[in-house]
Amino acid sequence: MEAVYIHIPFCKHICSYCDFPKVLHIDSFVEDYLESLQREIENNYDGERIKSIYIGGGTPSCLTKKERIKLFRILEIFNRTPDCEYTFEINPSDIDEDLLDDIVDGGINRVSIGIESFDFENLKILERETDYKDIENKLNLIKKRGIININLDLMYAIPGEKLSVLKQDLKKLIKLDPTHISTYSLIIENNTKLNNDNAQYIDEELDLKMYNEIRKILKKAGYKHYEVSNFAKEGYESRHNLNYWNNAEYYGFGLGAAGYKAGFRYTNTKNLHEYIDGNHQAESLLMTYKEQMDNELMLGLRKIEGVDVNEFYDKYGENIQDVYPIKELLESKELIYKSGHIFIPEDKIYIMNEILIKLI
Amino acid sequence: MDLSHIRNFSIIAHIDHGKSTLADRILELTGAVDKHDMKNQLLDSMDLERERGITIKLNAVELNYKYKNEDYILHLIDTPGHVDFSYEVSRSLAACEGAILIVDAAQGIEAQTLANLYLAMSNDLTIIPVINKIDLPNADVPKIKNELVSVLGFNEEDILLCSGKTGEGVKELIDAIIERIPAPNPPENNETKAMIFDSYFDPYRGVIASVRVFSGEITKKDIIKMLATKAEYEVVELGVNTPKPKQIDKLVPGQVGWINASIKTIDTVSVGDTITTKSHEANEPLPGYQPMKPMVYSGLFPIEPNKFEMLKEALEKLKLNDASLTFEPETSEALGFGFRCGFLGLLHMEIIEERITREFGIDIIATSPSVIYEIELTNGETMYLDSPTKMPDRAKIKEIREPFITTNIFVPSEYIGPIMELCQDKRGIYKSLDYINDTRVNIHYDLPLSEIVYDFFDRLKSSTKGYASFDYELCGYKAQDLVKMDILINGDPVDALSLIVHKDFAYQRGKKIVENLKEIIPRQLFQVPLQASIGSKVIARETISQMRKNVLAKCYGGDISRKRKLLEAQKEGKKRMKMVGSVEIPPEAFLSVLKTEK
Repeated sequence: MEAVYIHIPFCKHICSYCDFPKVLHIDSFVEDYLESLQREIENNYDGERIKSIYIGGGTPSCLTKKERIKLFRILEIFNRTPDCEYTFEINPSDIDEDLLDDIVDGGINRVSIGIESFDFENLKILERETDYKDIENKLNLIKKRGIININLDLMYAIPGEKLSVLKQDLKKLIKLDPTHISTYSLIIENNTKLNNDNAQYIDEELDLKMYNEIRKILKKAGYKHYEVSNFAKEGYESRHNLNYWNNAEYYGFGLGAAGYKAGFRYTNTKNLHEYIDGNHQAESLLMTYKEQMDNELMLGLRKIEGVDVNEFYDKYGENIQDVYPIKELLESKELIYKSGHIFIPEDKIYIMNEILIKLI
Repeated sequence: MDLSHIRNFSIIAHIDHGKSTLADRILELTGAVDKHDMKNQLLDSMDLERERGITIKLNAVELNYKYKNEDYILHLIDTPGHVDFSYEVSRSLAACEGAILIVDAAQGIEAQTLANLYLAMSNDLTIIPVINKIDLPNADVPKIKNELVSVLGFNEEDILLCSGKTGEGVKELIDAIIERIPAPNPPENNETKAMIFDSYFDPYRGVIASVRVFSGEITKKDIIKMLATKAEYEVVELGVNTPKPKQIDKLVPGQVGWINASIKTIDTVSVGDTITTKSHEANEPLPGYQPMKPMVYSGLFPIEPNKFEMLKEALEKLKLNDASLTFEPETSEALGFGFRCGFLGLLHMEIIEERITREFGIDIIATSPSVIYEIELTNGETMYLDSPTKMPDRAKIKEIREPFITTNIFVPSEYIGPIMELCQDKRGIYKSLDYINDTRVNIHYDLPLSEIVYDFFDRLKSSTKGYASFDYELCGYKAQDLVKMDILINGDPVDALSLIVHKDFAYQRGKKIVENLKEIIPRQLFQVPLQASIGSKVIARETISQMRKNVLAKCYGGDISRKRKLLEAQKEGKKRMKMVGSVEIPPEAFLSVLKTEK
């Protein structure tokens, strides 16, 4: 157990596409929430060495100074390794000297910023605000504080978006020179404003074109495509996310957070009042041996390098090809075997569910 | 039993004109069912059904009634209420001397009013016209009376008024049954002749036949013989329903009752057939018998190929209670092993399909229904075709004939235009138009039955806002310029999608089918061309684009269970798909040929 996810479900504004557990920031709730969070951590954390902590949301950066300091004080309980990747999610408009003071003090060494797009029309649909010049200045502030590991989020396939708009976004993103870029093709989830407004997906053909464009341009700019939606400069792959994709265990604390501990995959309640009342966990399921192997594949094949065949054997005592119809899929070129790894060829990553369905 | 004190009758009506409520009232007034027991009675029978897992069919009831101080026995014989079952209706009516024709006091004459009346008249029955539901606030008795007089030719003074709901006029109606409906004719001789007008399968006793005795007697231990099917059995039990089943010693002329002869298969108990006894054997059957003839055929295939045996058992079980259902094994390249099933009509088909899915839990694919085509070959032979896949080579065909029907379509006159348009679209031949009154008409067209099988009912409903009532009868076969159209998916013809169409409508139909298929079949990992062709000539084409995206792009803060659920849902969705060549096709695609609305 080397990773921890902390969920901060508060926001100043609810974005049109977001279906994560979140509520508008109300002071009295936050205080109670942090207290309940503290209890949850204290009751469950077993004191292991932690190599990655990720504070996500919601919008963790929308906490007030007092709340922030309290949060970091609570998180001091974790026994972090010296090189622990410690990430804090930030909304661009929240970045100021004061915030940076506090997060640096708290030990944060990686930030993830929800840029999503620079395009006016895109931002209008997403109900977000981003200004290139402003971001440029703020990134400089962050780097000055010694935080050089920076992820920027990019969203694409937004209703009405053209390929040229995406290209502009990519150009600006690369100019900002982050170490890591997460790209998401927009999903119109139920219970979001977009869905209520009956927003329509862009054409599949264009979506794929955009994906290929992203891969091409980011590769050229020196980023390694290491997972379906993630790109990083060499050595800056997100340790936290790799922990998920390696099917390793992790703590999930906070409203709606998911975790994986002692073979159980659990999900916390998404009801804020229940959470504050201390009823943290809503669902917990022991993974069978087969399910563990399934997950190993389902998650591992998200990585461009794929699943390490020997590691699979070491972990489960079974040859992967004895459990799954690997041979057939190698023959149909839906999987490739190379240097001890089984992976999905690049041209099929965007339809990987079709392949996973045949496997699990 | 004194024949002059027996009356056999049916109640006929358009659907929802109040037949069953009125029948309940009659049962109550004749004391067959106590008013207080009305509910209990129903509940009891339902319990029994649950306990024994069978359906008790109340197809004929014996009633006692005192009229002018004399005791009478009335037999009320039930009739099915749908055009698919018109032959069964006609046989039930043939067991009677009279019929009560019910017309709703607000709705007036409808299509089935007329169809049922014709069936009754062709059996020479005495008709008692009744305007029912006179308690309705929108009842218009003078207007409906006028319809009965001017359209159906009744005398105004013969028309009775009643309300099944309040009971008003019901006593007068029963009196009229005795006064107007003739007693059964005395038998010409003592040869035993009884007509089967219904039958059902009781899992404990076998087939129970409902009969009307015309001459001779049937007693326990008699050896009976079916004249059409030649089968012979020994009578085990005889009885009447009062409505509770009551055993009796013998059935005599004029009487209506049931026979249990430990009959295992319903095939030998054909509705309309004549039962005689070996001791007083008749040679000539009663008139009017027709062997059961399916009108519509469809292929039924299990979605999961290993359920073929289960489907077979399901059909066999359904057949026990339904002689009109026919089936024989059919093999489709696309769908594997299944059955070609014959049905009396569309409703019958829908009922059977639904029961297979619901009661037997087998998911099935039904191919588009086909009528029976009569094909005259160049060598002079005539063949009957129930499936497009069996269509002979074009060069061997001299002429193809298809079944036509004549319609009664009752609509308010403002819908004459839309109805005519619809019938023209369906290759209809206009016959005539009768005015029922100032505002309603009865439109007669000759239409190919195959066109009714398509979306006729839906379009009739939508183009008349549901105001039309529709009924039809077969009027024979007509030669038509018909061709077989194939549907090709990814270049391969799919046998289960082939259909027979009129040449002039082929392009339009083919275009619509490939358009429908394009919408129903999901994107595949490769581009899939869809074509409609006649012979080698492609007449319509669409293309399903290649699947470009199927990925859980977003990384949900570690919520792996959710990812997995999404994948499992996708996997589940695939399970119901049918692999045809290398293309995954959802079952509903096989009925896409039915959707042709503009």
